[in-house]
Amino acid sequence: MSGFDFDVIVVGAGHAGIEACLAPARLGLKTAIVTTNIDRIGYMSCNPSIGGLAKGHMVREIDVLGGEMGLAADATCIQYKRLNSGKGPAVRGTRVQSDKHKYSAYMCDRLRNEPALSIIKGEVKKLILNKSCCEGVVLSDGSQLRARAVIITTGTFMNAVMHFGLRQVPGGRIGDDSTVGISNQLAEFGFSILRLKTGTPARLDKDSIDWSKTTAQYGDEKVFPFSFRSPKVLPLPQIACYLSRTTAKTHQIIRDNLHLSPMYSGIIEGIGPRYCPSIEDKIVRFADRDSHQTFLEPEGLNTNSIYLQGISTSLPESVQDLFLRTMPGLENVKILKYGYAVEYDFIEPTQIWHRLETRNIGRLFLAGQINGTSGYEEAAAQGFIAGVNAAHLVLGRPEFVLGRDQAYIGVLIDDLITKGTLEPYRMFTSRAEHRLALREDNTIERLKIDSERIGILSKTDQDKSTEIVNARSELYININETKIYPNQETLFKLAAIPTSALTKSVSLADLLRRAEVNVFHLQSFGIEFFNDPLIFEPVEIAIKYEGYIKRQNELIAQAKKFEELLLPLDLLYSDIRGLSREEVEKLCRVRPRTLGQAQRISGVNPSAIQAIMVFLKSKKSRQEAGFV
Amino acid sequence: MGYGGAQEQDKHKVKGFKDNETICAVSTPPGFGGIAVIRISGPQSFEISRKIVHFLPEEPETHKIYFGTLNSFIEKTAIDEVLVSTFHQGKSYSGEETVEISCHGSPAITQWILQELVSAGARIADRGEFSYRAFINGKIDLVQAEGVLELVESQSKRAIQQGLRQLKGGLSLKLKNIQSDLLYVLANIEAAIDFSTEDIEVLNKETLFARTKRAEETLGILLSTYEHGRLLIEGLQVVLFGAPNVGKSSLFNLLLEEARSIVTEIPGTTRDVVESILLLDGVRVAFFDTAGIRESGDSVEKIGVQKSRESQSKADVIFFLFDGSRLFSSADVEILRGLDLKKVLILGNKIDLFLESEDQRRNKLKAVLKKSDLFLNQNELDLFVQKKVLFISTKENKSREIVLNSLREHLTNNQLEDEAVISQARHFENLSRAADFIKQGNEAISHGADAEFVALDFKAALICIQETLGERFDDQIMDFVFKQFCIGK
Ligand SMILES: Cc1cc2nc3c(=O)[nH]c(=O)nc-3n(C[C@H](O)[C@H](O)[C@H](O)COP(=O)(O)OP(=O)(O)OC[C@H]3O[C@@H](n4cnc5c(N)ncnc54)[C@H](O)[C@@H]3O)c2cc1C
Ligand SMILES: Nc1nc2c(ncn2[C@@H]2O[C@H](COP(=O)(O)OP(=O)(O)OP(=O)(O)O)[C@@H](O)[C@H]2O)c(=O)[nH]1
Ligand SMILES: [Mg+2]
Repeated sequence: MSGFDFDVIVVGAGHAGIEACLAPARLGLKTAIVTTNIDRIGYMSCNPSIGGLAKGHMVREIDVLGGEMGLAADATCIQYKRLNSGKGPAVRGTRVQSDKHKYSAYMCDRLRNEPALSIIKGEVKKLILNKSCCEGVVLSDGSQLRARAVIITTGTFMNAVMHFGLRQVPGGRIGDDSTVGISNQLAEFGFSILRLKTGTPARLDKDSIDWSKTTAQYGDEKVFPFSFRSPKVLPLPQIACYLSRTTAKTHQIIRDNLHLSPMYSGIIEGIGPRYCPSIEDKIVRFADRDSHQTFLEPEGLNTNSIYLQGISTSLPESVQDLFLRTMPGLENVKILKYGYAVEYDFIEPTQIWHRLETRNIGRLFLAGQINGTSGYEEAAAQGFIAGVNAAHLVLGRPEFVLGRDQAYIGVLIDDLITKGTLEPYRMFTSRAEHRLALREDNTIERLKIDSERIGILSKTDQDKSTEIVNARSELYININETKIYPNQETLFKLAAIPTSALTKSVSLADLLRRAEVNVFHLQSFGIEFFNDPLIFEPVEIAIKYEGYIKRQNELIAQAKKFEELLLPLDLLYSDIRGLSREEVEKLCRVRPRTLGQAQRISGVNPSAIQAIMVFLKSKKSRQEAGFV
Repeated sequence: MGYGGAQEQDKHKVKGFKDNETICAVSTPPGFGGIAVIRISGPQSFEISRKIVHFLPEEPETHKIYFGTLNSFIEKTAIDEVLVSTFHQGKSYSGEETVEISCHGSPAITQWILQELVSAGARIADRGEFSYRAFINGKIDLVQAEGVLELVESQSKRAIQQGLRQLKGGLSLKLKNIQSDLLYVLANIEAAIDFSTEDIEVLNKETLFARTKRAEETLGILLSTYEHGRLLIEGLQVVLFGAPNVGKSSLFNLLLEEARSIVTEIPGTTRDVVESILLLDGVRVAFFDTAGIRESGDSVEKIGVQKSRESQSKADVIFFLFDGSRLFSSADVEILRGLDLKKVLILGNKIDLFLESEDQRRNKLKAVLKKSDLFLNQNELDLFVQKKVLFISTKENKSREIVLNSLREHLTNNQLEDEAVISQARHFENLSRAADFIKQGNEAISHGADAEFVALDFKAALICIQETLGERFDDQIMDFVFKQFCIGK
């Protein structure tokens, strides 16, 4: 193997690292994953759950493309919920609570059983660079591992500091040391490295909680597993979560102790997530509220540890002791682990390409929290894309990039590298301008071709997805083409639904578009769908919301013409007349791949887009005329 | 739940986004020039142009120039004498079927023609859209490309200046208010979607409705000012009205500085409506001389009187003349009664005949008017007599300036009154689209449609508003969400 120990080396075995190593290994490349703590592969540092709005969408996307997260979440699910199930089709999202130890064990098992993958315990201290190309890593014991491509997924660990009140402890998360070396080396190389912070709440002892003062919340009975490859019945028993809340007393204690919070005393410089604010943040920002709700979530089936959702804090332990006990049910609570905040280095994501390779160092990929995101799903999505692209690089295949109109993953990566981020980036449905087209129910249709192109899924799995797609389109055609006539029999059936009578013949699709009619009613008109929601639900949605979906597709087509105009990477923006200095500077930094992307850079005006277009055309004709 | 049938959804189709539309714009610099060129490009260029270019043959040749009179499609009158060049698809600047109309270079005329083309089915081009199409169709070569770039640059600068002028007087302020209402509503909708599981307080339907309704209303009012804004650009209609022999035709001739209308000392001289146009500080003012109003047995004169009455109803301003050397008669009062007083300016003519101070004249007039029941109260009457009455003599040249000044005042006054005025076809078009989307969104809310669909409508509306303001969309909604809401993990 001409001096290389591996084709691909992945640094870090968090949610990004797992997908990043499985993808190349499953494509047959010799892959290694190096991580500091083998017992914590795929460890859930914060909340014990996977999915949610937009995040659940990404889990399904990863699944269809051939990633592992969906299967793992299904296999370890102890509470299943489909959020917004009563709302419109594009904003329904799956969220499961997982047994976090089983989740970790599941992932560890997957990695161990991957023939082309080696798991190496160790801390990466340095990258081996040859000019501006990465050729491997150096571990803390000085040993070197050479590879054709390296993916860094070190999460919250680089130069990380944990804050417990004003006390600071180096560490990437509780129980793990921070890692030092890589980010410093990249900074020396000229990368812009910034700081972010995030926090986590306390973990409580189940037996010390007075559950009678809380309200039980159960999951759904109807289950749509993340993965189309998972069994339709969840393997683990399902449990409840419990609702409690903060009180005026809680708020008073927190307010009185704000000066002991590292955020408010100015010790933390990193910017925290606005949408996962700590309880201190919430109380300051929403001073008029005297209560916030919280869920008490069991971290697994065989553990006493309870996660206190929504109450992340970096106040000192003594203050946590005080304020937690002011919440109903927690009067005598025993705290297993205190909440804390972690502050860490991240690499400004405008320095990488869509394929997640860095711009300045070839063969070096970055994925996960290191790129400024927050959340397991965001991390896994990037890990997968980096893994595929590292493999493609080694195999000499073209880069793999998803469009914004194709997948939330496409939106995630395009946002990061086009706009950058100054706070932990979390996915939301409103970040997707083509939201109505990016639904959970049509994930297979959206990504099947790409999935086949990548080739990670087995033939059996591909056939299974083909079968699903065929069954759906058959049902769709059937409903659209079956006509009903206003005869006695029909009128009788309509009255039974009940819905208004017909005056002329209509298709069953027309009938289904009536608000009061659903797909089950069509059975009496001879439509068969074997009661499988995986098949009939997407069809029902496609028909019921056809008008809106069509309108969304028109907007996509509209946007497409700009997405299809590719910009050469060596474009000299300073040569283009009509661009302001600020615009040139921004365009040079982002180096957009399409005119559409250029348009999304804030501060680049429509007239600049014009100018670029004209310039390109003139350059082309100059070349054709043989001037260049 | 609110999804009726396919028909109901079809009206949600996106308007104006299609790229195969036919576009039009003035291609020469704005302002007064010898001539101006209006370019029409797109698959229906010939078909649309033919509605006003009646002399365009069935199948025009490419690179051919035709000469003739342009006719209004809306008002059935002649607009201008023009040269029309035609280009076949693939052979024009933009690469599309193209028509170029060379007309006289006054903004009044070019705006009028654009208005006609839009009514006939074209759309006002976006900035640089011709070049864009030329680029897409591979029609721009090196030399042209560089020329165009310069044009784009200078155009955008000019457009900014123009935009600034356009947006003064409160239009942009009003649009910003609408924008912030929409942002607020969208932020609430988006938060309701994305944070549905968190304990955030999302506003109820009624509160949101109050905002969207307000946006819809403000936009409605703005759109209704378009008529007036257009008037500023397209011109003012001024009708000379009054009893026979008071000097209407004399004033008409004085204002236009030519003997267009016949003047005699015989009452009932003018029988038909006579029109002539004057450019007043760049605004096109059309004056109409009419037959004096009286009961007449003469059937020709009767028709003339009838026409006078009709023409005043379309007027923006009515000059009501009376013989100022005499008292305001009861006949005058009766004629005045039939008019919209808001439009009326009373001109007491022939003051050279009778030497009296202006105050005396005014007081006499006031006394007569007071006896009529035309005014609700003393206050209104005082104001009217003070502001809306002038004394002139068509024998004196300085009266021309007095009258024209009163018109100038009218133009600027009205502008101040309606501080926000839409005057550009492009703004009108964009904002009409915004209004449609808001209306659809409001309907969707009241049908109980799902939030993501409602959001689609309001987002589309917001984009239209921001296009008009020249602002970009960016992440404004997200920022707004974070400022407003308490979002847990
Ligand atoms: C205190 C805390 C609070 C959090 N709060 C939130 C929250 O509010 N919301 C939210 O969505 N997410 C939160 N998370 C973040 C969530 O855990 C991450 O988004 C997710 O785990 C990121 O995945 P990752 O794969 O990028 O990195 P991680 O899961 O952090 O994994 C990094 C991996 O890299 C390994 N590693 C690091 N450096 C080296 C090295 N030099 N050599 C070898 N191995 C290395 C580590 O051992 C680890 O296995 C929080 C995490 C922490 C620690
Ligand atoms: N002294 C004097 N005579 C005037 C003045 N204006 C008009 N006249 C005369 O008044 C007579 C009628 O003038 P016209 O302009 O024809 O009046 P008119 O209102 O158009 O009349 P009809 O067309 O019959 O309704 C003519 O003899 C004019 O010369 C003026 O300001 N002073
Ligand atoms: Mg006359």
